[in-house]
Amino acid sequence: MSSKPTFIGAVEIGTSKITVLVGEYTGRELSIIGRGECSSRGVIKGSVVDYRAAGECTHSALEQAERDANERLDVVYLAQTGGHLEGFYNEASAAVQASDNMIEANDIRTVCDLAKAKQLPAGRVWLHNIRRPFRVDGRLVPGSPEGLVGQRLEVGYWNVHAQEQRLADNIHVIRGFNLEVRELVLASLASGHMVTTPEERQHGVLVLDIGAGTTDYVLYRDGAPHTTGVVAVGGSHLTNDLSIGLRLTDGQAEKLKVRFGRANVLTRDKAQKVWLDGNFAIGDRQFSQQAIEQITAARTTELLEVVKKKLGSTFSPETCAAGVVLTGGTARLAGIAEAAGRVFGVPAHLGEAPAWVTENLRDPGYHTAMGVLYYGVTARGDKSSAPARRTGGLIGQMKRFFVQNQ
Amino acid sequence: MSTEIANAPVTRSWRDIPQPVKPRAMSRGGRRRLFTSGLRTAAGVLIVLALAWGAWTLTKALGQNSRTMPAAAKAVPVKAPELKTNGVLNGAWLGRRLALPRNASLMELDLEQLRARLLADGQVQTATLTRHFPDRLLVSVTERLPIARLMAEWKGNRQALLVARDGVVFAGEGHDPVLVDNLPWLDGIKLARRNGELAPVEGLGVVGELLARAREADARLDDGTSPHAWRVISLARLTSDRELEVRTADGVTVIFSAHGDFFRQLAKLDFLWEAMAHAPERPARIDLTLGREVPVMLQTSLPPTAPAGATPSSASVKFSL
Repeated sequence: MSSKPTFIGAVEIGTSKITVLVGEYTGRELSIIGRGECSSRGVIKGSVVDYRAAGECTHSALEQAERDANERLDVVYLAQTGGHLEGFYNEASAAVQASDNMIEANDIRTVCDLAKAKQLPAGRVWLHNIRRPFRVDGRLVPGSPEGLVGQRLEVGYWNVHAQEQRLADNIHVIRGFNLEVRELVLASLASGHMVTTPEERQHGVLVLDIGAGTTDYVLYRDGAPHTTGVVAVGGSHLTNDLSIGLRLTDGQAEKLKVRFGRANVLTRDKAQKVWLDGNFAIGDRQFSQQAIEQITAARTTELLEVVKKKLGSTFSPETCAAGVVLTGGTARLAGIAEAAGRVFGVPAHLGEAPAWVTENLRDPGYHTAMGVLYYGVTARGDKSSAPARRTGGLIGQMKRFFVQNQ
Repeated sequence: MSTEIANAPVTRSWRDIPQPVKPRAMSRGGRRRLFTSGLRTAAGVLIVLALAWGAWTLTKALGQNSRTMPAAAKAVPVKAPELKTNGVLNGAWLGRRLALPRNASLMELDLEQLRARLLADGQVQTATLTRHFPDRLLVSVTERLPIARLMAEWKGNRQALLVARDGVVFAGEGHDPVLVDNLPWLDGIKLARRNGELAPVEGLGVVGELLARAREADARLDDGTSPHAWRVISLARLTSDRELEVRTADGVTVIFSAHGDFFRQLAKLDFLWEAMAHAPERPARIDLTLGREVPVMLQTSLPPTAPAGATPSSASVKFSL
């Protein structure tokens, strides 16, 4: 373990905002020592469509984070989302080689290679190969099967692949700041690890990260990611519907959505009005509270049903005992947990960061970036180390340790 | 699903996407980071180079440092010492003077003691001894130049000794005998001894000044064949009257004033030599101490008919110069 700290930037290039968190990683512990944010431009549905605009915003957030941390970033872990991300399941089985049927490392390596050996279409590259638990003669093995006795070893991988050009665009945005992209982390995996406990993941839980342009989801079973996916629908679609339905600008619609939007209709009085700005200035006007709720609720339900439909038979209330956890900026919409519970037929609640996360980082908008830091570090082979809590630091209360809760 | 791993397709990961970006594609912040990165790299390289150079220099210095040499130096006998001088002393004198023990190594030599031996010879004004490992001893000396000579007891014998301008008396070695013979004798001095050695003669500074001026004005003073060559310089009246008496080879006594300008007095003397070169009478005494008036005592020769024991008559003339 190296004692010299590495300063890692976790970057989430979202549709509405770009978030950067700076982590100080010493090889044993990870502390968040700075953050930077910038309203996003040039990004639609999680994909960079204007390199220059997206680059300027991202670099501004990176500079802000470096100033806040008072350190120079060494590498970046970049969150990935977007409709171009796809996944499929592939499994393989192999006969145990040893005459005494004891599984060895070579058997494990062979079956893993077989399960990951899948040709991708042109222009597609692997992003993640997420292993599901091993099975020995049909028996589920949560950990490593090495040393167990059996005749047949099976393993499956949830393989996430992406369009190469889209990934290259995202990487080059970071490279434009002369920073190396060390890890690409699926946004749903990042936020999923932050807002669920190992017990929930073991029982089965669906995490929905509803951003402005996309909704990322990950379904956990048996303690591991089972299925991931991205739906190119998010909070901005609610805004868009409000804008069209009430004839507002996007800014005004966004303001109404945040202040009066709900994922379920509670207002029964059609005459109940709300003011756009509430300052009685010229241009300020009234709107029906019920109309706002109807639009946002209908669109939210539609969004959730799209996710449910995409999950298909993979999702069932029986295999998702821990329910649905909601996170992301749009998860702040009132009543969205009830709406999710109604759509999926399981209990739903808003995801919360672990207790050790400071107040100013508890907003759902930071869950992905924090998860990217945590997931990126643990994915690099440091799973055996459990970050410890650390008191004090460069920016005082913001410094906290990530405790490995896997 | 089971698949033959031997036929596994080649798959590409996101890590296969090339990351390098040309500087022109970078933002201003990116270019600034690139520049500072380059600067830091260059600084790092320079520091490494400086450290390497420092280590090399240190290693080299340690290799040459005398503190690391004793073991080697002790094993090598010192060669004959090498002399560098501004005078006439030679290696033989140096060998006798230092009297180094045989097969002595450089580190066994006490340089301060050897230097004291050299300075004990009055002819040596300064001496510097330098060790050059492994086996060379360099001696650099500056010598005193003799300006006059005197007779004195020296190591049990009465002999001629040389006197330097600072009054130090020394036996003198290696000087050209002709030059030594042309040096004037000192008279009227009181020699004192200190720790068994002759103490420096007082008042030699004035004599040295006079001789230096005289040599500048008239080179014949050192010419042994010249009748005007100075043979004796008397300091008998230096303390009382501030006068120096010089007796030339032809017996003329010239009195100089230690108060006056030697250059003017020598000019007057030169004029008188010229003026009286063809005079029938020879000067016996020239007094240059009275300023513009220069009394000259003439000495007439005895007529052939003069009785035995008669002394030549004398007359005086006075020159106003």
